[in-house]
Amino acid sequence: MTIQECYKALGGDYDEVIGRLRSERLVQKFVLKFPADGSYELLLRSLEEGNAPEAFRAAHTIKGMCQNLGFTTLGASSSALTEKLRGGKLAGYEALLSAVKEDYARTVAAIKDFEANL
Amino acid sequence: MTAVRKTKEKILIVDDSEMNRSILADMLADEFDVAEAEDGEAALEILGKSADEFSLVLLDIVMPKKDGFEVLAEMNRTRLIEDLPVIMVSAETASAQIERAYELGATDFIMRPFDASIVHRRVLNTIFLYAKQRNLIGIIEAQINEKEQNSSLMVDILSHIVEFRNGESGLHILHVRTITELLLRKVMRKTDRYPFTDADISVISMASALHDIGKIGIDDKILNKPGRLTDEEFAIMKTHSMIGAKMLEGLAAHRTHPLVRHAYQICRWHHERWDGRGYPDGLKGDEIPVSAQIVALADVYDALTSERVYKPPFSPEAAKEMIFAGKCGAFDPFLLECFEEEFERIREALSRNASEQAAQREIRNYAEAVRHTGGTAGASERTLKLLDYERMKYNFYAELTEEIQFEYLVSENILKLSSWGAKKLGVEQEISDPANDRRLQEQLGKDWFRDLEKVFAGASPENPEFRRECELAIGGELRWYSVIMRAFWTDGAVPAIESAIGKLVDVHDTHIAMNELKEKSIRDPLTGLLNREGAGEELPAKLANYPAHKYAVAVFDIDLFKRANDTYGHLFGDKVLCEVSERLVHSTRVHDLCARIGGDEFLIVFEYDADIHPIIARVFKALCGPVGEFDLTVSMGVAEMTRAGQSFRSLFKKADEALYAAKNGGRAGYRFYGESKE
Repeated sequence: MTIQECYKALGGDYDEVIGRLRSERLVQKFVLKFPADGSYELLLRSLEEGNAPEAFRAAHTIKGMCQNLGFTTLGASSSALTEKLRGGKLAGYEALLSAVKEDYARTVAAIKDFEANL
Repeated sequence: MTAVRKTKEKILIVDDSEMNRSILADMLADEFDVAEAEDGEAALEILGKSADEFSLVLLDIVMPKKDGFEVLAEMNRTRLIEDLPVIMVSAETASAQIERAYELGATDFIMRPFDASIVHRRVLNTIFLYAKQRNLIGIIEAQINEKEQNSSLMVDILSHIVEFRNGESGLHILHVRTITELLLRKVMRKTDRYPFTDADISVISMASALHDIGKIGIDDKILNKPGRLTDEEFAIMKTHSMIGAKMLEGLAAHRTHPLVRHAYQICRWHHERWDGRGYPDGLKGDEIPVSAQIVALADVYDALTSERVYKPPFSPEAAKEMIFAGKCGAFDPFLLECFEEEFERIREALSRNASEQAAQREIRNYAEAVRHTGGTAGASERTLKLLDYERMKYNFYAELTEEIQFEYLVSENILKLSSWGAKKLGVEQEISDPANDRRLQEQLGKDWFRDLEKVFAGASPENPEFRRECELAIGGELRWYSVIMRAFWTDGAVPAIESAIGKLVDVHDTHIAMNELKEKSIRDPLTGLLNREGAGEELPAKLANYPAHKYAVAVFDIDLFKRANDTYGHLFGDKVLCEVSERLVHSTRVHDLCARIGGDEFLIVFEYDADIHPIIARVFKALCGPVGEFDLTVSMGVAEMTRAGQSFRSLFKKADEALYAAKNGGRAGYRFYGESKE
């Protein structure tokens, strides 16, 4: 599996990211780092604990990483969740969260797949 | 201050996502040093410790603990934002957020997702912009500083005039000033009772030098009376504090200047006592301005520990005891507490040698004087620290490299030396009329300045740098130095050298090594004789002595050397070559030149006066003779200058022809060019 195929599988825009970061080595390095980032776990935990500001920040971080890495699909769903969580109210986010969960799982699976075949 | 920063600029990346930080770090790591902080609190902690190191901050907005806006707010509070540019990096797109960041002083805003080349460009632009600004501030500060130093100089001159009249040691003023400053800083650290700024401390310390200017109005006879003063004389003496105050009050135009205001208080009240029994006004306790109290203590302490016509010096401990016992005035117990705690530092500061102290004070003044005007020039402490830092860095490297660095100002005819350089040469750091300075002549040679002028002549505005090597006996040891200079030229129609900077670098070891290398390159490593190149280099000079001396060139090779090599091996061959060269050196004289010009081929240049024939016969005989089992003989051809011409080329060619003839004649013999047989 090539990095381009990986991007296709996770719903990202490889051409866009390579245009910005200029180096396939860098893109690959950061893509492989993505699953290890704790923001997603932090998001889930914070929502469970009802910690709205922390949940907002975690979602915001995920959105930022997706933008940097050109993960269009997860970027869109996490962005929507971020806006919902902004302002500190924890209500009506469940549908957005399940979209994020789904996209996150798909993203991580694609990356793992890519990593396994390196 | 103008020292070039050779280190990379350092950037602080503040972002809560490790990945975002490392993407930025990766983009910038080639050209910058990068430090990272994972939230606003960590960023402020780093900046609190070492803001000076950074040239730029890349700041995320949404972060735990403290967010980007809070960081900006804090940087505003500490005015750090004025000197340290901040570029916001965020996924926030709401214009209100961006607006707010700019209002808080952010220089630029980079939207996520970011583009590597844009990040790069913006970071560079911002750093350049600020570097330019910093340079401009530096120039303005240098000018302000110059003014301020002039007034410091005036104060010093004035106060020394007084001291001179007093017959006191030249150090009293310096000591009072040093103690005043140390005590003031101590007081400031211990209490917030007195609202002094750093600028005030600097001005008060400067003003302390004027505490006794009123003595100018006291009769010499009383001032310098060796014995005890009568009551009447003492009463006159006591008027000096009021006289000084009146003198300062008379400076109508400057009365409101902080220096004059503080000096007034110090002059008038430095003989008041905490218990109200001092003069001239009998002020008591806190009625006495603290500046005057501190100078009073400093004055008493230094008077006790110094030698005077009427008393020997007391030890620092004894002086301290006397002061604490109330034998020399009465002081605020709090002030005495400060004195006690600062005692060691005061003692140490005073024992340091005077010139070193002066140099340090100059540096401190530099910073403080500008700090003092900081309000108007907008020059913040941070910039000063940067300047100080540059200066310290420069001095540090200058010391490390052990170079004698100098600056020569042509119109002023002044030579300035780095402190290490001055120490090395054993001269002052500033020397006027250096050409005629005796110590410099001793160190650098009598004509060093004329030599320098010659070097100057070789430089031009297009080619302002020059370098040359020379041998100097600095510190009594003759060593090779490299002089590297750069001249600065006036702008006029006919440019003239205005000044020059440069350094003397000890290159002795390198120079020697180079010479050795050069020596090696003209010698044959096996036999130590000159090689062909070496002979070619040394010969022309030698032959130039003709016709004072006659010359002959002999060329010879070892008969059947190849066979010796084949039969006994190459090691043996080498042994034969060495043996031949040894026989050669022993049989020729020092004026003769011997070289191994190839395989087993040798060359001799003879210098002789009468007849060459017996000389050749002797050398030939010496060369031949068995080496181990090898019966060594040589064949030799000789060409005399009288017959073969005067150029080396022709001599060599003719000698070679003769050698050929000798070989044809059956080896183991020699032939003269132009003669049929030996």
